[in-house]
Amino acid sequence: MVSVINTVDTSHEDMIHDAQMDYYGTRLATCSSDRSVKIFDVKNGGQILVADLRGHEGPVWQVAWAHPMYGNILASCSYDRKVIIWKEENGTWDKMYEYTGHDSSVNSVCWGPYDFGLILACGSSDGAISLVTCSGDQQWDIKKISNAHTIGCNAVSWAPSVVPGSLIDQPSGQKPNFIKRFVSGGCDNLVKLWKEEDGQWKEDQKLEAHSDWVRDVGWAPSIGLPTSTIASCSQDGRVFIWTCDDLSGNTWTAKLLHKFNDVVWHVSWSVTGNILAVSGGDNKVTLWKESADGQWACISDVNKGQGAVSSIADGATNEQ
Amino acid sequence: RHCSSASVNVIVALQHHCSSAPVNITVALRRFLYVVNLETPSEAPRKIGRPSKWDVGTVQWNPHRAESHVFAASSNQRVDLYTWRDGCGEVHASLQGHTRPDLSGYYLVTSSVDTYISGASQVKWNKRNQYLLASSHDGDVRIWDKRKPNTAVEYVAAHLSKIHGLDWHPDNEYILATSSQDNSVRFWDYRQPRKYLNILSCQVPVWKARYTPFSNGLVTVMVPQLRRENSLLLWSALDLNSPVHAFVGHDDVVLEFQWRPQKEASKEYQMVTLSRDQTLRIWRLDPQLQKLCANDLVEDPIEGISLTTESEKSLPSQDPEPTIHSCGLPAENLQDQAGALTSGGRHDSSALPQTLQQEFSLVNLQIRNVNVEMDAVNRSCVVSAVFGTNQVHLVVKFPSHYPNNAAPSFQFISPTTIPTAMRTKIQKILTDTSLQKVKRNQNCLEPCVRQLVSCLESYMTQEDGSAANPYVLSNPVTPALPAFPRVTNTYGSYQDANIPFPRTSGARFCGTGCLVYFTRPITMHRSVPPTEPTPRSLSALSAYHSGVLTPMKMRSESQSSLRLYSGSPTHTDKDHVSISSFYYKERKSRRFKTKREGADYGNRPVKLAGKIIIQEISCLLPVHKALGETYILNVNDIQDTCQKNAAAALVVGRRDVVWALASAATSLELSPDSDPDADAPWARHPFGRHLLETLLDHYSLMSDVQTLAMLCSVFRTQGCSQDYFSLYGHYTSSSVSSGSCYSTSDSTTTTTWSIGRDPEHVPPLGESSPDDYRYANQMYTDPREREREQHDMNKRLLDPANTMQFDDFKKCYGEILHRWGLKDKRAEVLKFTSCPPEPHKGIEFGVYCCHCRSQVRGTQCAVCKRFTFQCAICHVAVRGSSNFCLSCGHGGHTSHMMEWFRTQDECPTGCGCHCLLQSTF
Repeated sequence: MVSVINTVDTSHEDMIHDAQMDYYGTRLATCSSDRSVKIFDVKNGGQILVADLRGHEGPVWQVAWAHPMYGNILASCSYDRKVIIWKEENGTWDKMYEYTGHDSSVNSVCWGPYDFGLILACGSSDGAISLVTCSGDQQWDIKKISNAHTIGCNAVSWAPSVVPGSLIDQPSGQKPNFIKRFVSGGCDNLVKLWKEEDGQWKEDQKLEAHSDWVRDVGWAPSIGLPTSTIASCSQDGRVFIWTCDDLSGNTWTAKLLHKFNDVVWHVSWSVTGNILAVSGGDNKVTLWKESADGQWACISDVNKGQGAVSSIADGATNEQ
Repeated sequence: RHCSSASVNVIVALQHHCSSAPVNITVALRRFLYVVNLETPSEAPRKIGRPSKWDVGTVQWNPHRAESHVFAASSNQRVDLYTWRDGCGEVHASLQGHTRPDLSGYYLVTSSVDTYISGASQVKWNKRNQYLLASSHDGDVRIWDKRKPNTAVEYVAAHLSKIHGLDWHPDNEYILATSSQDNSVRFWDYRQPRKYLNILSCQVPVWKARYTPFSNGLVTVMVPQLRRENSLLLWSALDLNSPVHAFVGHDDVVLEFQWRPQKEASKEYQMVTLSRDQTLRIWRLDPQLQKLCANDLVEDPIEGISLTTESEKSLPSQDPEPTIHSCGLPAENLQDQAGALTSGGRHDSSALPQTLQQEFSLVNLQIRNVNVEMDAVNRSCVVSAVFGTNQVHLVVKFPSHYPNNAAPSFQFISPTTIPTAMRTKIQKILTDTSLQKVKRNQNCLEPCVRQLVSCLESYMTQEDGSAANPYVLSNPVTPALPAFPRVTNTYGSYQDANIPFPRTSGARFCGTGCLVYFTRPITMHRSVPPTEPTPRSLSALSAYHSGVLTPMKMRSESQSSLRLYSGSPTHTDKDHVSISSFYYKERKSRRFKTKREGADYGNRPVKLAGKIIIQEISCLLPVHKALGETYILNVNDIQDTCQKNAAAALVVGRRDVVWALASAATSLELSPDSDPDADAPWARHPFGRHLLETLLDHYSLMSDVQTLAMLCSVFRTQGCSQDYFSLYGHYTSSSVSSGSCYSTSDSTTTTTWSIGRDPEHVPPLGESSPDDYRYANQMYTDPREREREQHDMNKRLLDPANTMQFDDFKKCYGEILHRWGLKDKRAEVLKFTSCPPEPHKGIEFGVYCCHCRSQVRGTQCAVCKRFTFQCAICHVAVRGSSNFCLSCGHGGHTSHMMEWFRTQDECPTGCGCHCLLQSTF
């Protein structure tokens, strides 16, 4: 049964723009227009404020937890054009690195799969995407894709490192040579796929279906199946599911999940990649699941899932 | 709301100035023309039907006062003249004469020249000179004089891309502005067609750029097809770095806008805009806003006439009356004056005060470390320069005849820090420079300032070079000012047009079974009705900045109550506009509503941040944490493993019989015969490999990576020799031990051995990893070996061809187990991957050739071509599996070493190393 296991009152002084739990689901990071990032310990239904991180000079749009094998690391991006990487050492959170290479609001940050090391993709309204890599000893290496999206980049999401089929022809014993890929969405209404070749980032594919700004993209986690899946959502209210059976062939087919009445801000995949949470300007969250015959259905109304959505829907009806 | 027609081609024309009569506006759609009376905008618009099937190309009211009730509408090749009387319009004449349909233009007059300028997309009459006409052709502008219509007066290659809009300066007959697809607005003096006077760079293609009827303003609107920005921007022509104001409020792109003729005795101007969603808005430009367009300090000589009171005082020769005019209506009484004020115009003595004024406004003093304060009234300016430790302050006074052979005076004032000798030198240089210029009646301020800077710079370098004490660091140079200081970005202003509107609610899957969502508090509401989508861009917030005008929204449904959109800024703190402003508004109105209903929400403090709710949704997922904990992987007894797992699955309510099937398929009776000549192995049976494949396909569809990984792990062991596992009583696949330190050297599996508990078998005794198979394929040439090999493949229930995919299942499941904190379980599953989970990075074993002592990374020395490594027991070169002691480096064939250390614990070479103890990690 779906149940609320915790309700966290963040005491942010202004609206919240993102909330995300760490890898193990024991800590919650939130960010807000009040320029702060807060970290809560939410183990066993509790809520203990662990840190109130101040450092941004504008509203903070998004946070991202790094894989725990690198320690407790959180990245945050803000309207103030900065990306700050925070790290916990001996129980206290501190700035680990501040990246100021963008000329406009940084709208999205996303850590790459841990196999690639500590690598962060940042998408900004200046149209560029930065890849910030920790090369050890506080050394940070920056690669910038300028003009990745005309007008601005709104979202970035990494491909899982387990890209099926890419290993088949690897000689044995050697480290499998994973190709780094990520997807981005921007104000040019495009979803773009990027991959690293010989240390350089190249545009791999351009997916065109949205008729307005793409607000979020999400590359579905892999469970080892040959199909790659990406979800994208847009100001035009539409959510598309993009699938590709063979990444080397790079042909993607789009499927319209649903046309919502308001802007869709966010898509999020479950850990097994078979449920998609869609949320947007209407203050509602819907969950979508792919049935065995490949059709996407809203499962929010299913008894099991009722709890998940009804409380949000209540808020929405009150509003009107 | 005018019409539900989907027509996109909408043209607006304003009836021209009629001081007392109501001002009408005409909106043309395909089938009808609508006339709206702006005095009573709430009344239903009057409709005039049109018989034509063509879209209306343009609509224009007669600009002449006497005939102001007449308007013309063009479509295709015809122009219809309509008379508007007493609220109804009728066609009173049709003109036909054009051979080609024109897209736009002032038809009543252009008909005479259309042969030459057809193909023009924009045609505009000069507002000052009744003979002049400008037309745009893609990126070019042509200027025509109607008195010599056979050829264009001037060609201006204005833009590289198509020109969307063209507008003449209201007061200067030579100046026009063009807006283009190339993201810029350019200002031209058509007498100098090679170089634009100024450029306004926008981020987006510009649809229309029109001068305001007052002072030096300019209004731009972007190309509607892009559908990005619904607001209009007001610029001051004097400062094109940033717009003065954004007219925010339209919910759709703006197609057209026009200035409403000014009412008598009113300081206000009004602009009528039409959006694609078929709403008209009237915007008021109060004197305060108009003032923003007129620069405080100086006025632009190009624009000529200013409305600011300060400049009126300083410029007595200027007409203090603001120019009242309407588009296209020539105002001849002002023409001379405008001509006199243009740059490069006459230089008679009466124009001299403007010349200094002009110079001050035109002078380019974007010079590092230099600041110039100009005071046109007192005819002086103060030049301040800071170079390192030195400061220079210089007063420049301009005599009244300047620049007519009268040089300005230069005087240093405190706190100037440079030595007196230097001062004298600089003063001389400056006087010389200025004299040279004024002799030719030229301005000298800018050259003088630049001279000053170069003098100071050379002085600075001299001083640095002769610095007495090299160990004293010179004071840091003051940080250079940015060459073009940008206006600081205010949050949510027009500059944020490309920043997406922030998320205020959202949901994210986190960990493994959690959905974290944040929403707006229930007390927060959208200021727009739910039918209207949330804005796209953060610049929508600019409506909440201070000084916002009150746009009206005209809707035919709710004409009785014109809704005021945003009366005053919601936050008292003007600098702090927050995203919550967007939602906060409606809360207020809701409060009114609830009060009416009797409830009192009004006194509650506003909470801007909602709660974050964490929900347990693992029941929706195909993986179960409980199963992750209880599933076991005991390769010693697969039957038992399957039965226990089946029981565990039943406990969490899973009724699939997958574990029963697995148990059956792995039963000992079905275990394959090692003899390839015996029966076909069970794997070839329909319930063998085929059944398993079907199962895997099914769970793939379910995304049940847990079951997939468990099945793969269980069946991975199935093909292996049972004896192998039972013999050593330790469930591990060979690949794990070999993987723990895998040498990259080909065909040599170098392993460290540790006390015989986990001994290495020699391939191909038992199957280990697909690597072995590959080598097997390469190595064994004996057909019997090949057959055996084939048999080994066949007897496995998991198709070895898909090993990589099975590994991926295990890795992904391992990751989920890790998130659950089940690290032991994760390690158990990852053991069954064919590749080492973490590629070995640390120590790599290499040998020195025992003959030539060169470093070798294989079994054969590259230098002496001999085998590099001898077995310590049999003294034969080792080619296959070997083990060494990490301490003394001795070792040999794995089998020999195993044999030796079963009974001994010292090195067989007699070096005295206690290898067993030393090399135990």
